[in-house]
Amino acid sequence: MSFLELKSLTKNFGGLCAVDGFSLDIAKGSVNALVGPNGCGKSTLFNLITGTIRPDSGEVLFAGVNITGRPPHEIARLGIGRKFQVPAIFDELTVRENLIVASRKQNDRTAQADILAQIHLEDQADTLAGELAHGQKQWLEIGLLLAQAPALILLDEPTAGMTAPETRATAELIHRINRDRGLTVLVIEHDMGFIEHLACPVHVMSKGKILKSGNFSEIRNDADVKALYFGTAEETVDA
Amino acid sequence: MRNSLIALLIFAALAAAPPVIGGYWTGQLTGYLVYGLLAISLSLVWGYGGILCFGQAMFFGIGGYIMAVITKGMVLPDITSSYLGLIAAMAGAALFALALGYFLFAGRGISGAYLAIITLAIALVLERLMNNWYGLGGYNGLLNVPPIKLTFFGASFELWDRVPTFYAILIVVAVIFFGTTALLNSAYGLRLTACRTHPDRLASLGYSVLNIRLSVFSLSAAIAGLAGALFVTLDGFASPTLIGFTLSTEALIWVAIGGKEMLLAAFLGAILTRTAESWLSEIFGDYWILILGIAFMISVVLLPKGLLATPLEKLTEGKRR
Ligand SMILES: Nc1ncnc2c1ncn2[C@@H]1O[C@H](COP(=O)(O)OP(=O)(O)OP(=O)(O)O)[C@@H](O)[C@H]1O
Ligand SMILES: [Mg+2]
Repeated sequence: MSFLELKSLTKNFGGLCAVDGFSLDIAKGSVNALVGPNGCGKSTLFNLITGTIRPDSGEVLFAGVNITGRPPHEIARLGIGRKFQVPAIFDELTVRENLIVASRKQNDRTAQADILAQIHLEDQADTLAGELAHGQKQWLEIGLLLAQAPALILLDEPTAGMTAPETRATAELIHRINRDRGLTVLVIEHDMGFIEHLACPVHVMSKGKILKSGNFSEIRNDADVKALYFGTAEETVDA
Repeated sequence: MRNSLIALLIFAALAAAPPVIGGYWTGQLTGYLVYGLLAISLSLVWGYGGILCFGQAMFFGIGGYIMAVITKGMVLPDITSSYLGLIAAMAGAALFALALGYFLFAGRGISGAYLAIITLAIALVLERLMNNWYGLGGYNGLLNVPPIKLTFFGASFELWDRVPTFYAILIVVAVIFFGTTALLNSAYGLRLTACRTHPDRLASLGYSVLNIRLSVFSLSAAIAGLAGALFVTLDGFASPTLIGFTLSTEALIWVAIGGKEMLLAAFLGAILTRTAESWLSEIFGDYWILILGIAFMISVVLLPKGLLATPLEKLTEGKRR
């Protein structure tokens, strides 16, 4: 049974069709990657799922419940966590305070210590989040999701601005939270090395809809996908 | 910890002041304490809640009028309890803020300069309304508001004299100050900071940003309403000036000069600006306004955290709350 079901979602901005009849089923406990050129509608798709914007048509079903058009905080409470494309953390709070805010219901210190260890920020627990390095901010945001304890997490370019070792550590972190916590993960990324490392089903998006789905090597060698990335392949690899 | 220690010292100094400064200044200082309470309410909603309310005096005025009509027996001739008046003043101001806040914050929500302009406009409208509401005294307001009557164990005692009045007000202000400080040091305070700096992030963690904004807006209004209610018992009258433009902007200046992101600094900003005003306006006359304007500009341009908050933060080792 699918855990997240997107049924022909469509969103227009003026004359621009950012998401165009997008459909996708995601199984519980799976990891899925969404790739595609800049501006193809990936972040807009996330906004439609989390209720940040309403679709013009189509439906979002989460755990069998139709959540289309519900406000973001209600969708979050139902169990969907989201990492934004630009790191979204509370700069004026310390790392620990960020986690306290994120664990909305129970302020469990051992759980927080555990999260700090997983995101490699034990030594920065009392540092202001705004003073962290870029990669650490990305990790802290993943930490916020862990503290929120959702069932599905949407990650929008979690490794943007990270060094190669940090990127690898992030892929491992995603594997670990998928395995240990049973979280379902949908991740947007440009970094092909990272996608390969994730070893999960990949969906290629173009102009608001899915062009191809398959595993990493199928996608890598697909003629349509190559054509889509023709001339932009360099830049997406090191983006 | 050191923050609270400094606050304790300041309240202790205030408590020790009456014998030193004499009757006249004790009376003046009592009024300043009430203005300080208004400043606390504005610091809470603006500095912590991130809601720039240009019409904070409307809650002060609403509280003042409610206190006046109740204790004058205009609502129920037999029930003129000061306690009831104070509670009704807080509740009335809070309910008004809840309704207004819903209108302002629901949906996409109004923020920044628009919010400032709209709240200012509403304060002006309310001032006009009170000027023309003859049942509530119109332009002249309501005269002969009785002083606070303390009743315990059947005995009752009216606060006519300066010194007992001063201490009664100081106790109320201290309770509100330390209560609000404790609230801001709790998880609720963290949420306020989160809501002020990154509301979208907070919503996607499962919080209703609307509810948080409504809570801080009404809490702040309740405190402002309490201040207004205390104020009318000191002066003995409630007039449209309590509700409107001038007091709203004055409160903004006190809080900006003191430091909006620090309750204590905002509170002291009101007291010190008021004290300076009564001294300097005697020496400089109307030029005092110029001095105040310069102080305001210095604090906005050079020390945006506030003239008092900056040194106070040094004392407390840069601790933010
Ligand atoms: N709120 C909005 N109003 C108008 N246009 C928008 C809005 N949000 C996105 N767009 C447009 O919709 C298109 C898709 O944007 P989106 O952010 O979803 O792309 P993306 O796939 O996430 O790209 P990137 O890889 O650069 O993050 C773009 O052309 C963008 O300019
Ligand atoms: Mg994007």
